[in-house]
Amino acid sequence: MTDVSRQLICQCGCTLVLSNCTHHECGSREIITNLLNEKLNQGQSEAAIIQFFVTQYGEQVLSAPPKKGFNLAAWVTPFAALLFGVGVVYVTLKRWVRREKQNHSSVVIEEDERYTRQLEKELKEFNERSFR
Amino acid sequence: MADIGYIALCLALTASVYSAIAYTVGARRRNWPLVTSAKNSLLAVSGLISISIAILAYALVTHNFQLEYVASYSSRDMPLAYLLSALWAGNDGSLLFWAWLLSIFAAIVILQKRNIGQELVPYASSVIAVTLAFFLVLLLFISTPFHKLSFTPVDGTGLNPLLENPGMILHPPALLVGYVGFTIPFAFAMAALLTKRLGDEWLIMIRRWALLAWLCLGVGLIIGAWWAYVELGWGGYWAWDPVENAGLLPWLVSTAFLHSIMMQRRRGMLKAWNMVLVILTFSLTIFGTFLTRSGVLSSVHTFSESTLGPFFLTFIGVTLFGSLGLLYYRSADLRDEAEMESFISRESTFLLNNLLLIGSTFAIFLGTVFPVISEMVRGVKITVGPPFFNQVNGPIFLALILLTGICTLTGWRRVSIRNLTRHFLWPLLAGLILGIVIFILGVREWYALIGFPICGFVLTTILYEWSRGVKVRHQIRAENYFKAFWCLITTNRPRYGGYIVHIAILLMTIGIVGSSLYDVEQEVTLKPGEMMTIKNYTLTYENLDIYETENRAVVTTTLSVNNHGELVGKLVPEKYFHRSYKQPVTEVAIRTTLREDLYVILLGWDEDNTATFKVLVNPLVSWIWIGGGVFLLGGLIACWPER
Repeated sequence: MTDVSRQLICQCGCTLVLSNCTHHECGSREIITNLLNEKLNQGQSEAAIIQFFVTQYGEQVLSAPPKKGFNLAAWVTPFAALLFGVGVVYVTLKRWVRREKQNHSSVVIEEDERYTRQLEKELKEFNERSFR
Repeated sequence: MADIGYIALCLALTASVYSAIAYTVGARRRNWPLVTSAKNSLLAVSGLISISIAILAYALVTHNFQLEYVASYSSRDMPLAYLLSALWAGNDGSLLFWAWLLSIFAAIVILQKRNIGQELVPYASSVIAVTLAFFLVLLLFISTPFHKLSFTPVDGTGLNPLLENPGMILHPPALLVGYVGFTIPFAFAMAALLTKRLGDEWLIMIRRWALLAWLCLGVGLIIGAWWAYVELGWGGYWAWDPVENAGLLPWLVSTAFLHSIMMQRRRGMLKAWNMVLVILTFSLTIFGTFLTRSGVLSSVHTFSESTLGPFFLTFIGVTLFGSLGLLYYRSADLRDEAEMESFISRESTFLLNNLLLIGSTFAIFLGTVFPVISEMVRGVKITVGPPFFNQVNGPIFLALILLTGICTLTGWRRVSIRNLTRHFLWPLLAGLILGIVIFILGVREWYALIGFPICGFVLTTILYEWSRGVKVRHQIRAENYFKAFWCLITTNRPRYGGYIVHIAILLMTIGIVGSSLYDVEQEVTLKPGEMMTIKNYTLTYENLDIYETENRAVVTTTLSVNNHGELVGKLVPEKYFHRSYKQPVTEVAIRTTLREDLYVILLGWDEDNTATFKVLVNPLVSWIWIGGGVFLLGGLIACWPER
């Protein structure tokens, strides 16, 4: 009973899930709950009961949009957006790591060049001195 | 008196428009006398709105029912605290309260002594003045609290009985301080973009503002949840109602912001992203106000329908697209030269943290507005309720909490595998052992089997981090362990305040997981003397009594409660029928322990004193409120000025 009633919204305007509506003056809670009990006692399946209420009140009686058709967008889009976000984070991290490597290697090259120049200068001076 | 309040608002509007223009022109032309004049003008706005709100408060306290607002939201029998809380009970009053808060914050911004960022203040103040002008226009032309009736009623309608709860005194002001507080970070962000001073300066200036607004909004949400639990009488604390969601959205984005500004401060990363987050936070606060006041979505929280919706929508559009446009214009100056040595580092965990927080925000936003989208696209009305939000957000929140633990022990720049193994060994073991223990104890639900071990893991990471810090202080400074622990927190308040907030989130998670998965409910109809059993409790229905008070009829029932066969007390669930309100009010009876709440609702009764009750056993709910207290403590420590 509770499992099914949690899938339905009370129609008294309280916007609560059926099992949560405790309003004394609520008419629809009692009607829906009685019908629900009756159908459960008749041995009807959960899906059939839910479908019955959708036919009676429209899709707004469901506490969550069914996972089909256009409503599927509500279920899928957040996770699709998250996946896209994971891609963006990965690309960003990769760029940062690559930049670090590039900067690090350019420092090494600059350092190498500096020492090479120094070495050449000193060798040149040494050679010049040795000629004297 | 009321006329003075109205005139004060008129003058405040004029002064705020002048201030906005004079600040911008003065700052651009470096005309300092003009800037000083703008500053004085904004201070005058603050004074004028204060006069206005004081007059409304006085009218409420002195029962001046000629004012429509006073007649609609107060009555002679209301105690002083509720009379004052009527200031934010209605649309007009809460708008005035909003404008007053913003004007006070503006005055603080202006008068604050600071060593840096003085150049940003005129532009930021100009943005605040424009926002104030918007609210003052609404207060003067659309939704004025000083509207007079053609007659003076003997008494007022009074507050909605549901609002007569201590929650009314704390919840709306806390939320509003949070909402309004985010205007200041937004204003400074805009000032930074306008002046091209895009370094850390603006972040340093707004950090505490953002933290305080975030803390107040968070506390407001928790108090709101508690209020719903004890007053609305449906047995839960969070219904994923559109207006509840509207409060959660800016809180989630600002949580992302508070984390990502650390990346900018420490590593110069995410400069543009931080701007996006602050713009989003501000826009979402206005969106929340729009939802509450437009009546576009059904909610128990909304004020009576008003014509304010289009104005808020326009304001959101202008601020959102205007600020994003400005951000795009300055995007070249916001490129960061970020670099990282390794994929595994604290930077990565912060990025993922931001992704999950924004992902969750998006999911909640989409779920909240999807009924409107469905009606527009398909012409079919649908409801998006708790099952959707729980299924979509559950995994995201768990991942987020797991990340909290991973982030705590992951260093900046790079982490070696050896370090990872060394630091995470004990926390992982703790989580694993907890998982095995609860499995042996009979826990089989996946959410519990994943959620509780994650909480154990994260808690151990925080304790491990603390113990490392204490040990180092003990060794280096020869402090005893208690002193070392105290000094550890006081010398780095933002960091350790943050850890305390993380512990608060864990406590709340334990409460939420426990109460969501293991709640038991039963609906029974009993005659006096009959009993019912739910879990380990036996409740005996003793009697029903109906009596009248000055302003209401009360139906009261008494049940004696036995726990494991031992009498532990009596519960008295009631229904109130107020004379001034059609809807009866449910007064639930709750027996609270750290382990679980026994929650009894009186649903109905017959002439023969037969009564129908809904009885729930909600495990671990107390830990949510305890977590709320710890959250406040951690937030205050993080906000507290450093010596």
